[in-house]
Amino acid sequence: MKDEVQTPEERTANLKGMGSARKRVEDVRFTQGKGNYVDDIKLDGMLFGDFVRSPYAHARVVSVNKEAALALPGVIAVLTAEDLAPLGLHWMPTLAGDKQMVLADGKVLFQGQEVAFVVAEDRYIAADAVELVEVEYDELPVVVDPFKALEPDAPVLREDIAGNMEGAHGPRKHNNHIFTWEQGDKEGTEAVLSEADVVAEEMVYYHRTHPCPLETCGSVASMDKVTGKLTLWGTFQAPHAVRTVASLISGIAEHNIRVISPDIGGGFGNKVGVYPGYVCSIVASIVTGKPVKWVEDRMENLMSTAFARDYWMQGKIAATKEGKITGLWCHTTADHGGFDACADPTKFPAGFMNICTGSYDIPVAYLAVDGVYTNKAPGGVAYRCSFRVTEAAYFIERMIEVLAIKLNMDAAELRRINFISKEQFPYQSALGWEYDSGDYHTAWDKAMKAVDYDGLRAEQAQRLEDFKAGKTRKLMGIGLTHFTEIVGAGPVKNCDILGLGMFDSCEIRIHPTGSAIARLGTISQGQGHATTFAQIIASEIGLPADDITLEEGDTDTAPYGLGTYGSRSTPVAGAATAMAARKIRAKAQMIAAYLLEVHDDDVEFDIDRFVVKGAPERFKSMKEIAFAAYNQAIPGLEPGLEAVSYYDPPNMTYPFGAYICVLDIDVDTGVSDIRSFYALDDCGTRINPMIIEGQVHGGLTEALAIAMGQEIAYDEIGNVKTGTLMDFFIPTAWETPNYQTDWTTTPSPHHPIGAKGVGESPNVGGVPCFSNAVHDAFRPFGLTQSHMPHDHWRVWKTAHDLGLHE
Amino acid sequence: MELSEEIRIKAPREVVYAGLNDPEVLKACIPGCEELTQTSENELEAKVVLKIGPVKARFGGQVTLDRSNAPGGFTLTGEGKGGAAGFAKGGAEVTLIEDGDETVLSYTAKAEVGGKIAQLGSRLIQGTAKKLSAKFFASFAEEMQASAVL
Repeated sequence: MKDEVQTPEERTANLKGMGSARKRVEDVRFTQGKGNYVDDIKLDGMLFGDFVRSPYAHARVVSVNKEAALALPGVIAVLTAEDLAPLGLHWMPTLAGDKQMVLADGKVLFQGQEVAFVVAEDRYIAADAVELVEVEYDELPVVVDPFKALEPDAPVLREDIAGNMEGAHGPRKHNNHIFTWEQGDKEGTEAVLSEADVVAEEMVYYHRTHPCPLETCGSVASMDKVTGKLTLWGTFQAPHAVRTVASLISGIAEHNIRVISPDIGGGFGNKVGVYPGYVCSIVASIVTGKPVKWVEDRMENLMSTAFARDYWMQGKIAATKEGKITGLWCHTTADHGGFDACADPTKFPAGFMNICTGSYDIPVAYLAVDGVYTNKAPGGVAYRCSFRVTEAAYFIERMIEVLAIKLNMDAAELRRINFISKEQFPYQSALGWEYDSGDYHTAWDKAMKAVDYDGLRAEQAQRLEDFKAGKTRKLMGIGLTHFTEIVGAGPVKNCDILGLGMFDSCEIRIHPTGSAIARLGTISQGQGHATTFAQIIASEIGLPADDITLEEGDTDTAPYGLGTYGSRSTPVAGAATAMAARKIRAKAQMIAAYLLEVHDDDVEFDIDRFVVKGAPERFKSMKEIAFAAYNQAIPGLEPGLEAVSYYDPPNMTYPFGAYICVLDIDVDTGVSDIRSFYALDDCGTRINPMIIEGQVHGGLTEALAIAMGQEIAYDEIGNVKTGTLMDFFIPTAWETPNYQTDWTTTPSPHHPIGAKGVGESPNVGGVPCFSNAVHDAFRPFGLTQSHMPHDHWRVWKTAHDLGLHE
Repeated sequence: MELSEEIRIKAPREVVYAGLNDPEVLKACIPGCEELTQTSENELEAKVVLKIGPVKARFGGQVTLDRSNAPGGFTLTGEGKGGAAGFAKGGAEVTLIEDGDETVLSYTAKAEVGGKIAQLGSRLIQGTAKKLSAKFFASFAEEMQASAVL
């Protein structure tokens, strides 16, 4: 046989398994414009829906006059809350246990809220008809500040639950209050703060922003009145959950609903939520008996579908004179907008904000989060992060810097002396997590050396002298971050969304000729699942990745799973993939033993075959085994070679990283020039280094956007001031710096292949790193905290307020 | 959003004051004005087609005048609604000072804009508002000078 002359290295390389920088198989279609997105779906007789949206942030809806719109030729229907009420669909449940209006029921709570749904024969007619719907509003006082929302005389925003002081997450203190979530040891932390050598205190604001995926949200609903089956295509990051929730809300039996997520042009958390457009397209299809498409435009995406962040984090950090941290206190005021549509596991109303002790060994800590209603869009999704981890990382990495200023210490050294040491893992954090593994000192030292940290500080000191001597107008900033992520939600015992346990799944079928198809409960939105999951299977069972098809997103064919967000695909579905592959390998071993006429225990797996122990020239390749599995009668074994695994992870995984950014700030223009960015990521076992590098580049660029300019800003009457890409910052190649990537490898001890997830790390670590660099440049002039985004104007203002323009 | 400006009109103050109170004159001078009718002594109703960036809409609105300072000026408040395009409301203070045969007209205006037009960003709105008011006063000065000559 040909492969007998191949070396083990050649056989391994042929598989393109784990560790191979295999090219993304998805890109063949994407780079040729052959992707198939929701808006590419065209069905016979398909109608188009479009929303009438509120221009007011808070108003009573006095009347809706549909007459003129209905008179326009081509308009089929105009739906309002009154039309949906008999079906019980004028409100819908949110992922956070609250409810949200599908169409305005008597009032509107944020600008851009859905008031009526126009259905027409084409999208141009629908858009014209939207302008003909006459809505009469009666303005109400607007509250856009969460602190003002909690004042005693603040207007009541949610009249539907006014006076009901028991919310989905415990007692409410005020009509605009949603929940209080407390973690850790309040008394113990306060005792440490009162006796500490040093306490640094700061308000750290992580502004409201938006995932803004390239493809906006949309759906196509098609109700077949003959079969009673509803098919729903949509931009869903969790198609199976959508099917279950759609069944529970609509009363349509779950087997009669088929949800399909086709290609998705980026999600970043924006496509986790349930939106009125989905519900309205379904209702419109049921009412008209025709398929109905709804796709939002960019302005609608930015002003109405899920935002991210908007956390006001008041912090106190205590330490000894030498810089050993003794305690951490945090109170967060969380602005959730008009409805609590935050996407978090049920038991975590502030997500994993309690990872805010970060990479540091902090003996005692306390966290309280108050959720608040305001006249802003609902949401609160994890924008390229795992459930509020980026807020937590930003908080602790800013508090470390603030403490370093107070102690007059170098921030790198302060981090180093407080890291959890390698020997302490598994580490029990003061706020309740068991960190599975880590080696922070090794990563940090590698990063310091790679950038020549001491050399950078010397250069910075010289620059400062030159600045003071009037030789330059540019300041140099060095941004440091060591972050710890918590990803891979999660263990069903404590992680569910709307009662749906957060396990995931993989089903693998080996075909007789030795190729395969695998289906997963997750859904790629650009992560490259078809590439990487095939690599896991290739290494686990010894068939080439190129011979393995991967499918996701069709609930009629894929096994049930909770979808892709929070860097959970590799930690959970990746583990399911390895476990399913191992079931196949176990059966293959029995088949090989039969074919080789030896006992099961006398054969062992060797790259792409089973060999007789001690006699490697006697073997059966996986291809031979696959054929025999189907076509040879083997006593005691069923024909076929396939397996499914539903994986409930025993713990989260804890990727980490060390990032260093160097930038120069022109104090007269406020322009920051990012000179270098070094990113070391430890995501455990590395499946495809090229995909990891791509993820890091993408995540860092989104971090750059958030830290340096991107925001959803409101004026005092609740107008979204950044509702188009003219004002909402998306970096292009022009603004994006070069990145230097690096890694260490600390495998997860509980994950079958030791992988931890990486998609979100660069965003979680990148934001504080860019922000710390800006702060660091101004540290010699007394700056301790300035809020993001650090756009040119804000940086100029900082310089101005520090007297640098005098 | 705030606007303020001062312009010199080659016409006596009474003529300028009368012009500012004449719906026909205003209709001719307001850019995009389709209808302007006086509904009571101090109230006007208007329909104006407005285009800001990619948004074009017909705004309907009411204006209320306070003439207690006549003829040295007046204040006005008003609001307009443009359906899906949004809404605007605000007020202006106009003063007229005699300077020989001419009149110095100065005004300060404050406006709140909401909805889709506000989303397009203040830079577009501010710029458009300035352009429109400049256009209005240019036409108005022209009308006044013409009627002063007559």
